[in-house]
Amino acid sequence: MALFEFWILLTACLAAATCALTGSFLVLRKQAMLGDAISHAILPGIAIAFLLTASRNTFPMLIGAGAFGLLTVYATEKLQEKGRLKSDSSMGVIFTTLFAIGVIIVTAFASQVDLDQECILYGEIAYVPWDIWFFNGINMGPRPVWILGFVCAINLAFVVSCYKELKIYAFDRQLAVSLGLPVIFIHYGLMSSVLFSTIASFESVGAILVVALIVVPPATAYMLTQKLSLMLAGSVIIGVVSAISGYYLAVATNSSIAGAIAVMTGIFFFLAVFLSPSEGVLIRKWRARAGEKEPGETPESLKTGSLSV
Amino acid sequence: MIRRYLDKIFYGLLLLAGTGMLHACGTAGDADERPAVVVTTMMLEDIVNNIAEDRFSVHAMMGPGVDPHVYRATPNDVRRLDRADLIIYNGHFLEARLAEVLAKIPDRTFAAAEQLDESRLIQAFEFGGNYDPHVWFDVSLWAEVAAHVGERLIAFAPEHEEQFRSNMEAYIAELNELHEWVGEQISTIPEEKRILITAHDAFAYFGRAYNIEVEGLQGLSTQSEVGLQDITRMVRLIMDRNVPAIFLETSVPPRSVQSLINGVSERGGQVRIGGELFSDAMGERGTPEGTYAGMVRHNVTIIVEALK
Repeated sequence: MALFEFWILLTACLAAATCALTGSFLVLRKQAMLGDAISHAILPGIAIAFLLTASRNTFPMLIGAGAFGLLTVYATEKLQEKGRLKSDSSMGVIFTTLFAIGVIIVTAFASQVDLDQECILYGEIAYVPWDIWFFNGINMGPRPVWILGFVCAINLAFVVSCYKELKIYAFDRQLAVSLGLPVIFIHYGLMSSVLFSTIASFESVGAILVVALIVVPPATAYMLTQKLSLMLAGSVIIGVVSAISGYYLAVATNSSIAGAIAVMTGIFFFLAVFLSPSEGVLIRKWRARAGEKEPGETPESLKTGSLSV
Repeated sequence: MIRRYLDKIFYGLLLLAGTGMLHACGTAGDADERPAVVVTTMMLEDIVNNIAEDRFSVHAMMGPGVDPHVYRATPNDVRRLDRADLIIYNGHFLEARLAEVLAKIPDRTFAAAEQLDESRLIQAFEFGGNYDPHVWFDVSLWAEVAAHVGERLIAFAPEHEEQFRSNMEAYIAELNELHEWVGEQISTIPEEKRILITAHDAFAYFGRAYNIEVEGLQGLSTQSEVGLQDITRMVRLIMDRNVPAIFLETSVPPRSVQSLINGVSERGGQVRIGGELFSDAMGERGTPEGTYAGMVRHNVTIIVEALK
C-alpha cells in the first residue's frame, strides 16, 4: 500500500468513527438529519466570513460555519420546545431559512466570486495526502488526519466519561431530568460534539460522505443490537469497514471515493435489514415458518424502538 | 445462526477488498519511464504537449466538457497526482479546493495563471485580491502563460532546453498570430452589435482583449443561482440593443439561457442561440476543438457568424 492510500484510508476511518459516535445518539434521539441540516445552514456563515475577511481561507470560513451550525442546533431545539413542532419539522424550518438567507447574501454581495460551501469549505477526501500541516517547518502529515483524530478523541472521551448520563438522556429526557442529571450540560455537550464532528469532517472529506456516515452506520448497528454499548461499537466498526471497502470499490470502478464509501454504508444497511439476527427479514420469515415466537421480544418494544437501558 | 451470517458478511467483504486490491496492483505497474506531468485543464495540456512534445507522459485531470469548478477527483487522479514529478494547475481558484491543496506542495506544483502580473488580471471582486481565473480567453495573455510554463518545463528538464525553447517560441508565435486573427475577426462585427451574452461570466478577458462587451447571466461560478433580476435585466438589454444571438457553453447546462430566450419572446422580441461556446473545457481530443487554437477559432467563428 502506498503512503497516499494509507492517509486516505486513515482519514476515512477517522471520519467514520467520529461520525458514528455522535451519529448513534442522533439516530436514537430521532435527529439523524441534523448533519444534513448543518451542512446547508452554514452557508450564511461562510458568506459573512468572506465579506468580512475578503479571502477564501479555510479558517475564517470554519468560524463562520461553526457560528451558524451552533445557531441551527440552538434554534432547532428552541423551536421544538416553544413552537410545538416535532424535531424534523423544526430542523427543516431552521436550515432552509438559514440556507436561503445565505443564498441571498451570496447573490446580493458576492455574485462575482466563486462562493459556495461546495468549493470553499467542503474538502475532497482524494486530496487529503497533500493537505499537509507544517508545524515550525516540519512536515507533520495531512492536516485532516490531525483534525479528525483530535475530534474523534474528544468524542470518545465524552462518550466514555458521560456514558451513563448520555444513555438515559438519549432514551428518556424526562427521566434524566427527574433523576437530577445535568441535562443542559449533556445536551450542549452532545450538540457541540455533533457540531465539531460535522464541520471538521465536512472540511476534511466533504458533505455527502459525512451525512451518510452520521446516519447509516448507526442505523445499521441499531438493526443488529439492542444494547447501546454494542450499538456504539458496532456503528464505529461498520463505519470503518464501509470506509475501507468503499475505498477499494472506488479504486475498482475508478469513481468518487466519497461516493463509493457512502454506497458501501448503504449496502451494509440493507444486508443488516435482511440478515439481522434479531429483526432481519430472513429471520422473521424463518421464525414464522418454524412457528416459534421468542419470548421477551414483544412487538410493542419493536414498535416504539426503545432499547434496553 | 448469527455466526453463519457474520461469516458470510465477512467473506463477502474479504472478496470485495481482494478484488479491489488486485485491481489496484494491476494498474499500478506502468511501463512508462518518462517523467510524469499532471495538468488540471486541457488548455494547459495543450501548452505542455506543444512545448515538450513526447518527452513527458502528460495526463490532464479534467477532460472534455468537464466543469473545473465542481470537478471530483477519482482514485486514478489520486495515483497520478501522487506519482507526478510536476503538477501544473491554473490557479486563481479555478480548481477550488484542489488548488488550495496543491499550493501546499510548491516544490512539484506550478500555478500557471498565478505567474501573470496582477495588473494584467481582472479583479473578480471589488476588494481583496480575488482574480478572474479564465485567463485563456485573451490569447496574448495565454501566450504569456505558455512562456511561464515553458520556463518551468526547462527548469524541470534542462537537458531538453534547446528543443523546448524552440518549440516554445514557435508556439508563442502561433498564439500571437491567433491573437491578431481573433482581433481582426471580432472587428468585422458592427460596433453596436458587439455584445456577447453567455451563461456564466467566463469571457471577461475575451471582452477586454478584443473590444467586445460581455455579459454573463450567472456569476463567475457555474454554481451560483440565477437571480430573477439578472434575467429581467438581461431580457431588457437584449430588447433595447436588439441583440441577435446569445450563446450556450459546453460545460454549463443550457437551462438558464433557455429562460432568457423565453423571456424575450414573451415580450415580443426575438433572439436565437448563436451556438455552443467552449468556456471552461475544450472539445474532444482528436477533433479541431480539442486543441487550444482550434477551440479559440471555433468560438470566434461562431460569435462572428451569429452577431454579424
